[in-house]
Amino acid sequence: MGNVIKKLAIGLVVGGALVGITRALEFPFVFQMMFFGYAMLGAAVFMLLDAPSLKTMSGTKSVIALLAFYIVLCTVYIAGASMWPQYDPEDEKGKIAKILGPKFAATQQGKAEELIARAKALDEQVKALEVRLKALGGDETTKEPQAGALPVTTGAATGDFMKLGEEQWQLQECYNCHKLKGEGGKKRGPELDNIGTYLTVDEIKLKILDPKSFMAEGYEKDWEKGKMPDKYKDLMEESDVVALAAWLGTFKNTSVPTPKPIKKK
Amino acid sequence: MKTWQRSLVAACALLVLFGGVAYAQAPGTPTMEFPYTGNRTAVWIVAQLHILFAAFILGAPIFVVISEWMGYRKQEPRYDRLAKEVTKVTVILYSMTALTGGLFIFVLLATYPQFTTWFINQFYLVFAVIYPALFISETILLYLYFYTWDSWKGEKKGRHIALGVLLNLIGLITLFVINGPTSFMNTPVKGEGISPQLFLETATLWDKIANYSWMPLNLHRIVGNVTFGGFVAGMIAAYMYMGAKKDEERAYYDWMGFVGNLIGVGAMLFLPFMGYLLAYELCDYDASICPYMMADQLSMFFEMQGAMIGLMFLASNYYIWLSMKRIEGVEKVRMTILAPIAMVLLPLVMTKVMTDYPVPDPMSLAFLLPLILAPFTLGRFIPNTRFFPKTVSARTVIKIGFLMVVVGDAIWLTPHGFVPTGAKLVAELELPESWNFLALMPAKNSAAFTLVFVTVVNYVIYNRAIRQGTIVWGKIDFASQFVLIFLAFSSIWTMGLMGAVRSLLRKYYHTYNLLPDFTAESFTPTLSYSAWWITGITVVFFIVVSFAIIVTLRPSDSKGHAPEGSPVPARAK
Repeated sequence: MGNVIKKLAIGLVVGGALVGITRALEFPFVFQMMFFGYAMLGAAVFMLLDAPSLKTMSGTKSVIALLAFYIVLCTVYIAGASMWPQYDPEDEKGKIAKILGPKFAATQQGKAEELIARAKALDEQVKALEVRLKALGGDETTKEPQAGALPVTTGAATGDFMKLGEEQWQLQECYNCHKLKGEGGKKRGPELDNIGTYLTVDEIKLKILDPKSFMAEGYEKDWEKGKMPDKYKDLMEESDVVALAAWLGTFKNTSVPTPKPIKKK
Repeated sequence: MKTWQRSLVAACALLVLFGGVAYAQAPGTPTMEFPYTGNRTAVWIVAQLHILFAAFILGAPIFVVISEWMGYRKQEPRYDRLAKEVTKVTVILYSMTALTGGLFIFVLLATYPQFTTWFINQFYLVFAVIYPALFISETILLYLYFYTWDSWKGEKKGRHIALGVLLNLIGLITLFVINGPTSFMNTPVKGEGISPQLFLETATLWDKIANYSWMPLNLHRIVGNVTFGGFVAGMIAAYMYMGAKKDEERAYYDWMGFVGNLIGVGAMLFLPFMGYLLAYELCDYDASICPYMMADQLSMFFEMQGAMIGLMFLASNYYIWLSMKRIEGVEKVRMTILAPIAMVLLPLVMTKVMTDYPVPDPMSLAFLLPLILAPFTLGRFIPNTRFFPKTVSARTVIKIGFLMVVVGDAIWLTPHGFVPTGAKLVAELELPESWNFLALMPAKNSAAFTLVFVTVVNYVIYNRAIRQGTIVWGKIDFASQFVLIFLAFSSIWTMGLMGAVRSLLRKYYHTYNLLPDFTAESFTPTLSYSAWWITGITVVFFIVVSFAIIVTLRPSDSKGHAPEGSPVPARAK
């Protein structure tokens, strides 16, 4: 017992000191607690080192001890994993639907499902019309839109087009490698706030579709290794690439040191 | 289970496999919905169970043959007994591998018929000819190896060992072959400027197998399987130790636990580097995989992995500590003071050096090698002074080692931010800018290397203690048996976690960038949800393995054995 109290006291002192130091260094509270936790882990380890030997068990006693040990392990692992911040799958589901939606529609199954959906919609509208016709005595024409016709749109305004470009930036997770508007990027790729000054929309589009077409100054090794994935020509629709390129082309902030692209092809 | 029963199980599995191939050709096959779990989790459970059994039956024979060879060379029967007992368990688990393998194909076909058909067609020769042929060869060799154990002894022992080597060779080829389709799903063949679909049409079978992550996965799985096999052997020893009624049995199983742990830890030392190699190749294949793994959706899976590896290193060193306590004369064992100094300096120096000279810059080695080798090369030249002793006790070195394992764990675990994705990062949850280096790769590498270095130094001390003192087998602290079980359970749990990570890296694709998964389950699950299933799968695996151990090894009590493990002075061996 003396061993436990002594180690616990040392752990609390070290943990307290770590909290004090990390607070002085302006670590957020959660990190201060994390360092306190490390100190307590150290105390627990040293308690175990100097703990008295466990007596040999046998028979039912050892079976019960073993089962209890497994229950503790399972509980600790599930609880431990659940205590870390959890990613919300809902954040991803919408993205996946947007990315895979056009691909699914292009498959045989997708086409078949779309036809079934349209047929169902037609059926619903016919039924609704029948009800209305009956109510009107059958001689009044309907003002309902043509069954199966696509909804009338006002045309893609420029704002919507730019919004589509920005949406592609998010969907394709370009922010993981490129910094833009001060957000994202881990120095894997160049900052793009001034890309519109250097490249035309067509050139940006070419770079997205063929990453080897341009090389950013200072990124020679990354260009040689092909760090930028050569996959967007297969993953993205033509209209999405154009929208993304057009949106990126609007970024002409000369105060940001976007590296100069060099044409390679 | 008798031979004919085992053969029947294997035949059924093959029937399911071939039947599955035929079934897969049927067009327009309707899919089914698994209740409660959903289709993806159903496949996950069966696939993970299959891989766990397969990992054991491929990993265990590697050290079984080594143990048999050592027994033959040293003329020590206990090595032979260890090898035979592990083989007995392997034979039972081999049937389970076949059974779960067949079930895996069946569930895949029922849930993802279109993908499975496409996938089998891509590797038709592998699934229809090569893999079954290897599987049958391995079955024949394993049973031949097991059933000739008693008859091929004495002068024929060399022939038996050669058979074991052949079994391992076939096992390794099987692993390499099946890793082809597995790794293909993560990194399918691609060519610059050509769409993956078009490139695939012209790719040969070899192109598909020898893809980007194939060899790193092979290496990772070989080392992982040996680690896993070693720890499971340790667990077998722990169970038998707990159930032993005689002192000589306890002595033998104490020794067996020591050997299993030694193999498990020895292979585990290489695992962080093999994992790093695999991750490096995956990132090199497609740079967008890297942030998905380390900074976004799967970042917390890696935090959990860090916690698990840290605990496993603590446990393996704790086993050494407990093992040292029963060595008579251990207090006389000393080590150069440079060892604890190098332990303390290593994380700091390595982080600085690797930041300034990133791997593979040879300058990093120029700084680090002298530091690592100093205790072994310069130790004897240190003068002994009053304030700076030349040597310190083994106990002090190990205690400082434990402190540094905790420090290493702390560095490994410290995240850039307490958020599941970079998009949710706010100042209150993020490391201060000037301390951000703690979350970068140089710091993580230094943490991993510190854990490895401390463990190696501890084993050097342990070895020295065994040589200088007298080890009393069978008298180890009983807590050590729980440590052995902990290591087996944790290594299997970590395997499940990292297996889930490797599969999830395909994101919303069955085969990355090639074949999308249009089902509603193609999102990244939470770590908590994954942990529940990983734990469940591990428990099921443990129940089966525990049953196999009880069934196969319990009767050996009555037969009686020569007291191979009787307490004897270590220096006499």
